[in-house]
Amino acid sequence: MRENELKRLKQLEKEIKRIAEEEGLKTTDIIFEIAPASRVIEGMAYNFPINFSHWSFGRDYERTRTIYEHTGGGIPYEQVWNFDTPKAFLAESNPFALQVLTVAHVYAHVDFFLSNCYCRSSRLSVDIASQARNAAARFRKYEERYGQEVEKIIDAGFSIQWHQHPDFFRKEPEEEKVREYLREKSRNELAQLKTPSHLKKPDPKRIAILEKELMELSERTPPEPTYDILNYIIQHSSKFKPWARDVLSVIRSQARALAPNGATKLLNEGWATYWHIRIMNRLLKEKLITSEEHGVVNIFNAKVTRESDNSFNWYRIGVAFFEHVKERWDKGRFGRDYEECEDYFKKIHWDTGANKGIKKIFEVRSAYSDRMAVEDLFSDEFIKQQQIYIYGQIKDADGSVFREKVADDPEIIRTILKRLFTFHNLPLVTVEDGNYDTHQHLYLKHHDTGYELDTMHRDKTLEKIFYLWGKKVYLETQHEGKPILFSLEGDKIKTSNNIRKKQPL
Amino acid sequence: MAIVNSDSVGERGKKDARRHREKQKEGVIKNQLPEIFSEEAIITGKGKRTVKIPIRYIEIPTFRPAQNSGESYGIGQGNGDGWGADNEPGIDYIETEVEIEELIEMMLEDLGLPNLVNKPAKQILVELGFKISGKSRSGPWSLLNSAATAKEGIKRFWGYLRYLQKETGKDELSCFDVLKRSNGILKDALEILKDSNFQPQAKTFEPFPVFDNEDLRFHKIKKEKRPESQAVIIAMMDVSGSMSIDKKYLARSMLFWLTAFLRDIYERVEIRFIIHHTDAKLVDEKTFFSTGESGGTCCYSAYELAENLIDTQYPTNQWNVYLFHFSDGDDFDPSRSTEALKKCLNKDISMFGYGQISPEMSIEKMLGKSNVGDNNLLGVFAKQLPIIHSNNHGLQIFAGKENCPFIGVVINDKKQIWPAIQEYLKKGRWDNAGK
Repeated sequence: MRENELKRLKQLEKEIKRIAEEEGLKTTDIIFEIAPASRVIEGMAYNFPINFSHWSFGRDYERTRTIYEHTGGGIPYEQVWNFDTPKAFLAESNPFALQVLTVAHVYAHVDFFLSNCYCRSSRLSVDIASQARNAAARFRKYEERYGQEVEKIIDAGFSIQWHQHPDFFRKEPEEEKVREYLREKSRNELAQLKTPSHLKKPDPKRIAILEKELMELSERTPPEPTYDILNYIIQHSSKFKPWARDVLSVIRSQARALAPNGATKLLNEGWATYWHIRIMNRLLKEKLITSEEHGVVNIFNAKVTRESDNSFNWYRIGVAFFEHVKERWDKGRFGRDYEECEDYFKKIHWDTGANKGIKKIFEVRSAYSDRMAVEDLFSDEFIKQQQIYIYGQIKDADGSVFREKVADDPEIIRTILKRLFTFHNLPLVTVEDGNYDTHQHLYLKHHDTGYELDTMHRDKTLEKIFYLWGKKVYLETQHEGKPILFSLEGDKIKTSNNIRKKQPL
Repeated sequence: MAIVNSDSVGERGKKDARRHREKQKEGVIKNQLPEIFSEEAIITGKGKRTVKIPIRYIEIPTFRPAQNSGESYGIGQGNGDGWGADNEPGIDYIETEVEIEELIEMMLEDLGLPNLVNKPAKQILVELGFKISGKSRSGPWSLLNSAATAKEGIKRFWGYLRYLQKETGKDELSCFDVLKRSNGILKDALEILKDSNFQPQAKTFEPFPVFDNEDLRFHKIKKEKRPESQAVIIAMMDVSGSMSIDKKYLARSMLFWLTAFLRDIYERVEIRFIIHHTDAKLVDEKTFFSTGESGGTCCYSAYELAENLIDTQYPTNQWNVYLFHFSDGDDFDPSRSTEALKKCLNKDISMFGYGQISPEMSIEKMLGKSNVGDNNLLGVFAKQLPIIHSNNHGLQIFAGKENCPFIGVVINDKKQIWPAIQEYLKKGRWDNAGK
């Protein structure tokens, strides 16, 4: 960037910060680094400014780079991290007006990081950026010593990295503490049952169950089913050398740090887009940018938010979402009177002048996740207005693929979006028993949430888990409506109906 | 607060992308070979050195919902007009160019083929021309070994020099001087030196070669012969009316790849083409693939012609002979064809590969378990030759026992091209044969 441009950009950054604060956005110091497009793409692919080496990062890097170089699409116009001091990349090949837009966009992202309860939770975790940087150096040494074993461990860790507790705020408790808590619970109930009382009949059955539970509890691992498969394996697999444990721990903590971003992507991108438009308008109004520059920004903005017939455009739907919510609350289109009104004409002209839009959207950005936004605020009108639909792919006899609209019913769209935005769109799988058959076999259970698992990926994932666990791995799941048990040892996958029997407590 | 210029430029992305490419190539071997094999563009693209193949991005496996065809797949916005066939390659594919050589190498690796070279490849001596082997004292000037000759010349110079010193008692420089002046002729040098008026003129001592006839050295040459492996492929195809374009396409694909493999294994490969209906004739490659004739089928005509070809041009003590025959199994005189085939098999050939392209034939019919199979060639072969029938994932294989290098496969579909080739080229099939 030329010296005078850099000077002006620094000046504009101050103005943007001032405007953001005037509009009610939270701000903090941000480091903007002007870098070549390839560096920005690298940052995007590797999740952090510097991260350890893995082919999947290379794959994403190459894919984005190819799209960027050959089509000019996938413009790497911004990358910002939710660090203690947030850091953002500005792609140096972008025109000046776009740099200004990016700064505005990043300021809105940073407000989201500072305000949204989920994103705030990940700010509390360790200094993830320097952890990643240090991991890069450490893993390189491991690779020198252990060669492709390192890649294998990373492959396997990535395979289950998102299987964490759905609650981002939760700190995985120590196993012994959980055990003690459960023991206490059963003891208390037992004590009550055994206390003679004329109010209830003695219940010898329940007493027997509780006594059995208390006996088994000290042997049982995990004491109660856990979602955090990777954590369980790190803690209990007998297979690992310290370096492998280190690799897996880094993968797990990165996934945990990134998870809240994943769960708020729609809101975060929508919020940033919503505000960059407004900030740029104010810069024009205050004559801090020229109308030519504003024109460049508008063209770019139209590109980013255009409708996409084969993918979910986070920017488009996100920004439209905030505009829709603001309008509804400005016009008082909420609450019982509005919901229950059946007069169509009255409804479309509904305007109580409530003027609560701004307050509402700030509330949404603070307290909502994408899933909650869909559940609570993706109204039928909004889905129809955005013309969101679901398409299927149909293969022709000669192998060519056709797309076909299969649903645009708002109820179905909501259901599918909710599924997509829940638990990283992953099936719920828990570790039920780490000492199954008393042979330290690992027993996993896929909980029925309305669909079966993709068979190829299921088997391959089991292979990865087996690689990490080192002993037989079981997976309880459903097939054609019936429970079924898969087991993997070596390279043989077997099926049986021999589901583990578990007494409900 | 701070806008800074970046100083670090990452190279990690490129390095890791390379690793991903490597893994993709491994993936190609494992998953996509059958598809690549049946890709028409590769087979017809004559002389092309590279092929474009779509390679999948490698994914990390995760537990995920099953996706049924036609069910919800993605989310879009807009009115959804203007859709046609989805011609754009999906996001998960990238087209990449791979050299055919490289593909074949990968395939050979996958097949574990190198052993094939050790076992059935017969080697013969081929004259490669002449080769220098040692020195001799006589020969044509064109073969003068100047280095060796100069060495001899220098030896002679020192010999003369010592002799002169010894005879005259003069110092080294004077002796050198006269030797130089007399152009290396010892007699003249001695005379100059004995002259009492002799005054040495040379200032520096520089040894130079002195030649006599016997110092000349020549390159000795001999004819070079080297054992070399050579193979002939005699490709036979039924072009009778019943061989449709589709069937011929399957035959052509198989032949393309078989040829490519054998070319990789043998230093020299010749290919001869025979087409037949009731009569057989030798044709060129283009005719082989493009001819479509009508009429009946007598496979023996092709086998007899092939046998003749082996006897007259490709004796099996010098050539590895591979016969491949593709037909749809209709034959007017199966017993005569069997006899002709037996004669070929007795010629110590490397392999007779028979591909029966019969999409509609049931295996029961083929094996003659139902009574209709009398005209069906493979069925007759199976009865009259020492053959074991097996089924490899739906591919029907009829493999000859020891000393009967026959492999018959039934191809119904282009997906079977790769498995069939694997059967043809499987290593160690006749390892126990007393070849």
